Amino acid sequence: MRLGRIALILAGATALEFLFGSSPYRGAWPVDWLLVATAIVARSGGFGRSVLTGAAAGLLEDALTESLLGLNAFAKAAIGYLLAFFSVRVMFGGALAVGGAIALCSLANDAIVAVLRSLLLDSPIVLGTPYALWRAIATGATAAALEAAWSFPWREWRERRRLRRLR
Amino acid sequence: MRFPSVRAEITPRPRRGGALLASVLVVCVLALSAQAPARRQRGSVLRSWILTVASPAVRAVAGVSRAVSGASSSAAQMWSSRDENARLRARLAKTDEELFRLRAEVRQLRDERSLRAAAPFLPVVVGSAPVLLVERRAGLHSALVGIGSAAGVGAGSPLAVPEGLVGRIVTSGRTMSRAQLLLDASAAVGARIARTGELGIVRGDGRGALLLNHIPTTSRVRPGDLIESAGIDGIYPRAIPIGRVGSVSPGSNLFLDIRVVPTAPFARLTDVLVLAPFPARDPAEGSSAAR
Repeated sequence: MRLGRIALILAGATALEFLFGSSPYRGAWPVDWLLVATAIVARSGGFGRSVLTGAAAGLLEDALTESLLGLNAFAKAAIGYLLAFFSVRVMFGGALAVGGAIALCSLANDAIVAVLRSLLLDSPIVLGTPYALWRAIATGATAAALEAAWSFPWREWRERRRLRRLR
Repeated sequence: MRFPSVRAEITPRPRRGGALLASVLVVCVLALSAQAPARRQRGSVLRSWILTVASPAVRAVAGVSRAVSGASSSAAQMWSSRDENARLRARLAKTDEELFRLRAEVRQLRDERSLRAAAPFLPVVVGSAPVLLVERRAGLHSALVGIGSAAGVGAGSPLAVPEGLVGRIVTSGRTMSRAQLLLDASAAVGARIARTGELGIVRGDGRGALLLNHIPTTSRVRPGDLIESAGIDGIYPRAIPIGRVGSVSPGSNLFLDIRVVPTAPFARLTDVLVLAPFPARDPAEGSSAAR
């Protein structure tokens, strides 16, 4: 994937974070857009770019919301690598599989950040909250929908539709 | 000379002339009488008759004339109507846009007014700020608020809404600041049970609730009691509502386990009031106060 496209994806994810984050209904469908952006880049299979994109997305998240820079960068870089690995080495496809993997990645992101915060800031480890589960579901479902839309044969569908009209 | 024949020729003329005269006179009389003013009408009867008789024809002609002129003018307008239509559409779009903006502004003003209405009941309010982003991850509860050092806000400034305390600013940029919410697993505030006056410490549990610690088992606290800030921690001013006691249970040692339901609507924060740091200090000291 080209760098310009990666930058565009990151910018879009950040914009979506702010768009939903400033809404009073932010808790209704709390998607981790930066994780979705990392997954989109990792889908192309480039390890280096996936890791760097994850790190950049995490760093952005840390700069905005975290007390330490690098917590989410660490987690998302690792997740980017894992996702790229799975997309290259393992037979991995289908909207449901992708959605499930991203949901797990969302929970893994929480776990890594919680452990790091506990180690570095002596904070209590808080995992498996209803909100975290809901965010994992929302992020996974959104990623599954994007994967389904991405892999859908739009051209053939359009062609079939055109032929049906002609008949 | 044959006079009788002449007489015989002349005799019928006065008859014909009389008839003519009579008919003329009758016509005149009729004309005069017709021109006499009509009762309860302006103008004469004759004119009224003329108008009555002529009106269908005049109307028909006028109708045709109007139809023709209307058709010609509509044909002419058809060409200009496209431009006018496009102009009107652009104007309508502009008006819609302005209406949308004005509605948003009115709503914002209404929200700000309701926030400001609560200001007299809170300690020194520096200003209000929109909440731009709220992050909840692994026990962390933080928010990004749209106010910073340009508005005189520094680290340590408490945040509140009319319903109660929200948190405090920990890092401030020029126009944006990061705040730690009370629900954060590492947040704490000196608290007081309003009914009994007992002091304790409220901590966030990182899961969206608050815990009131250090209340002895001998306390008379009960569910529903209001918990407010005590002003003993050097960060938050006193007497700002924090929450209400949700449940009380005996703890493992000498203290009660008290869960507190926050009064501030953390799930739907849109704007917050920024309070002056407590106790009052120089803005330059603000950065060192952040933990």
